[in-house]
Amino acid sequence: MQACNLQNLPENYTLKYYLYHALTWPQLSYVAEEDGKIVGYILAKMEEDVTDGDEPHGHVTSISVLRSYRRLGLAKRLMIQSQEAMATVYKASYVSLHVRKSNRAALGLYRDTLGFTQKDTEKGYYADGEDAYAMRLSLKHFAR
Amino acid sequence: MPPAGIPASRALPSRESTLFKEVLHYYEDRQLKKGLKAADTILKKFPNHGETLCMKGLILTHMGRRDEGLELVKQGVRYDLTSHICWHVFGLIQKGQKNYEEALKSYTQALRFDKENMNILRDAAHLQTQLRHYDALVETRHTLLRLRPQLRQNWIALAVAYHLSGNILEAKHVLEQFERIVKNVPDYDVEMSEILLYHVRVLEELGEHTEALALLDTSAKSRAIIDRVAIMEFRARLLSKLGSSEAQQAWQGLIDQNADSYDYYKGFLSNNGIDIDALTEETQSQALTTLRDFAQQFPRAAAPLRLALTVATGDEFKELVEPYLRSRLEKGVPSLFTDLKALYRVPEKRDILESVAHTLLDSLTHAADAPCPPTIDPTMYVWTLYFLAQHHSHLGQHEKALELLDTAIAHTPTLPELYMFRGRVLKRCGDPFGAARWVDQARLLDLQDRFLNARCGKYRLRAGLVEESVEVFGLFTKKDAPSPSQDLEDMQSLLYLTEEADAQLRNGNYAMALKKYTAIQKVFDDFEDDQYDFHGYSVRKFTVNIYLNLLKWEDTLRSHPQYVHAAIEASRILVRLHDDPSIATSASQALSDAEKKAKKKAKKAEKKVLEEAKKAPGTATNEDKGLDASPPKDDDPDGSKLLQAPEPLERAAKWLKPLNTLAAGNIEAWIAIYDVAVRRKKYTQALQALTHAHTLDADSPTLHVRLVDFKKRWSSLAEKPSENIAAAVSPSLSKLVPDELSLERFNSQYLQNHSSRGDAILATAQALRILDAPREEVESAVFSALNADVELRLETAVAIDSFLLELKSPRVDEFRAGCQPRFGLATLFAPRAELPELRKNAIQRAIAETNVEKDEVIS
Repeated sequence: MQACNLQNLPENYTLKYYLYHALTWPQLSYVAEEDGKIVGYILAKMEEDVTDGDEPHGHVTSISVLRSYRRLGLAKRLMIQSQEAMATVYKASYVSLHVRKSNRAALGLYRDTLGFTQKDTEKGYYADGEDAYAMRLSLKHFAR
Repeated sequence: MPPAGIPASRALPSRESTLFKEVLHYYEDRQLKKGLKAADTILKKFPNHGETLCMKGLILTHMGRRDEGLELVKQGVRYDLTSHICWHVFGLIQKGQKNYEEALKSYTQALRFDKENMNILRDAAHLQTQLRHYDALVETRHTLLRLRPQLRQNWIALAVAYHLSGNILEAKHVLEQFERIVKNVPDYDVEMSEILLYHVRVLEELGEHTEALALLDTSAKSRAIIDRVAIMEFRARLLSKLGSSEAQQAWQGLIDQNADSYDYYKGFLSNNGIDIDALTEETQSQALTTLRDFAQQFPRAAAPLRLALTVATGDEFKELVEPYLRSRLEKGVPSLFTDLKALYRVPEKRDILESVAHTLLDSLTHAADAPCPPTIDPTMYVWTLYFLAQHHSHLGQHEKALELLDTAIAHTPTLPELYMFRGRVLKRCGDPFGAARWVDQARLLDLQDRFLNARCGKYRLRAGLVEESVEVFGLFTKKDAPSPSQDLEDMQSLLYLTEEADAQLRNGNYAMALKKYTAIQKVFDDFEDDQYDFHGYSVRKFTVNIYLNLLKWEDTLRSHPQYVHAAIEASRILVRLHDDPSIATSASQALSDAEKKAKKKAKKAEKKVLEEAKKAPGTATNEDKGLDASPPKDDDPDGSKLLQAPEPLERAAKWLKPLNTLAAGNIEAWIAIYDVAVRRKKYTQALQALTHAHTLDADSPTLHVRLVDFKKRWSSLAEKPSENIAAAVSPSLSKLVPDELSLERFNSQYLQNHSSRGDAILATAQALRILDAPREEVESAVFSALNADVELRLETAVAIDSFLLELKSPRVDEFRAGCQPRFGLATLFAPRAELPELRKNAIQRAIAETNVEKDEVIS
């Protein structure tokens, strides 16, 4: 997962951060494999400091698919598995994520394919000063 | 008078005693400055007070004055050997240095003087887990539970300890007891859910499947276990194991929930008595029917169709693969060839794929210079060309591949995949320079894509362009990092470290290669240390199922291919260094100008850091720098100190140690183990390594060389090591190298048996050299690799080239020229004088130019 992230994205983490996710919310992260090699992943968590009046919700820390494994719908499938776990195990009412303002491809995926809506703009969210869109998607449809 | 039981040297008058309590208090609150002041006040009057010295040392360590702190702690322990505080502090410091063995010893001492100290017990448990002292762990966890039975985590921790020690039955008993007494569990409690799932797992591991299923079902029904996917997976597996008729439905449920998991299909099939990895004629057709059904049920899922392709043969395969291929080419799925590659192991399937794809291409082909007719899908045309190029290159038909790619690029000049793959084909042909240039072009087509960028960096390294690759990697690393390399190293990029180390090695820079391999080792050390915090965390969070998986993963961590590779290559460098210590000194003289510049720069930076450190008043700040020793600054920018460090063989042995168990199926690992062992005069170990290698591949050329090497060394030993060793070695050696043959004869026999293999020819020549044959004879032996009837692979030709260089053979250029016609597209064998020019051409455009473009794209 870590190697996959390093090849694709500008935001990188050391292994321990992945372990922290896996050992805190073992149900929420998924990978896509080709012959045992990880070609895509979703790293997700539950928001820890929920402010008063807010409902418990999940957050996508990082999601990525190797360039050579695009157009297979992997991101969408990874996202759906994770969302379902957020809703059923942790009763999450929605899921949030951040996306770079300039990342049109990801923006398209989240908004058009997955139905996220833009909630907010966070100025200078990324280390290099770029703004982020804060997006969310309701998970009420998973409640049963 | 001091209270009974306290030694006089420890007892303090009441004023100081209060002050000491304050020291402890300040430390707890991390008010380091105040703590230090209080400690100093005590020490003014009682300079030999062990506990105060230790506390002062601990505080100083937290403030970043580590050496000074450690000295004080050691002093403190010496003044008061029976204080649990002193030993505890010493243990904390050692733990911070990742010296877990010594830390545990200190904790054990501390516990002798304060048997029921919760903090010390807990830390000791974590150390025991880290060191895999599981029996001792059980005892510690027992004590903790006895002291605080009301804490839920203490129960679970004990169960886990039993589990790790191999006593799963006792783990079950602890869980049962715990569940009897636990009260007030809220609904939908994630923690309780995890505990119960763990209990089910324990039962399953004990083979108590009925009980496991019963617990799972009642807990799921009462919503005590809430992880739906886990419930379904456990349930399907347990029902299958029990041979229940409900199993089928359970697997179906899992597939409904995630139709792209191969495991679920395998589970479904295996429940019906079908092992997809070992099909019979009968099960083959059953499997195919099932998979076809699933493909209809889940038209959007790829897994059942792809599995069907593995299962089907002949016409059925053809009928299935045609639409599979067509739909994905229409969509332009870049990974299509990689997806299907595994099918090529069956020649029939390979041929069908080729003919189906070519038929598709024929239906799409049109005049190259005319515009694409409306009946033809241009995307599909390009992706079909791309697929077929990969197909032909895979079969070694590189010219055909290049031709297809050129057509595709002429048609759609904007698709980076085409350029990337063109680079890859050239790399396979032995043209790393052309390869780098084409991948650079791919990068230029989408400057915002880190994936393309990383490929470009990798290909530059393959072409030996180290600085230029770092430049390109640097386009995506953090701008505030000291350097792109440092950022990639800090982010634990094994890909980058491996490629750079290999490139340095190919360039003959052993110092830098070893430095980068060592950085890889450090990454794995960090991976190993990473588990430490979770020994406490996971039982607190009750995520024990995944925690147990983590420990298992950590136990086999160094079987990772990149560790194995680094260990083998590093050990080879160190062996070379042992054989010829002059490498260490000559390497540093051969520094390129750029490296010298880098060295100067690093020295300057280092000086600056030192000066700043001097300026900063050491004690003025309260900042807690923690106990973990910070990484030492890089005082060896070119790796020469590392290369010159003593005892290369001992270091090599340390690298290889994990491979004995974790890479037992890797012949090159055994060869490396041999090379080190025989030089350390560990003859039994050396022979064992050869025996292992022999069982893996008796005909291996690298093994052949070592057999000759060992026999020669062994029979020329002036004095056999000992009766016992001789008795152990000689008979096993005779099994590998028959006694009645001379080594020369053994060598020529090997050549006769493998006369058409290039790598075997090289091995025979290397053996001749070991047998002290004259250089001319060695040369002429190795030149027979160029004979027309010999299968000479590119890697072997490159290896022969380096071998001749090592021999200082005057025939190097002759060999290179001889390779040219064999490897038509290769530039690797161009006359040496032309290489710098070729390297320069490997760069499509300088980074400075592309930077401007990138800015334009973003703004």
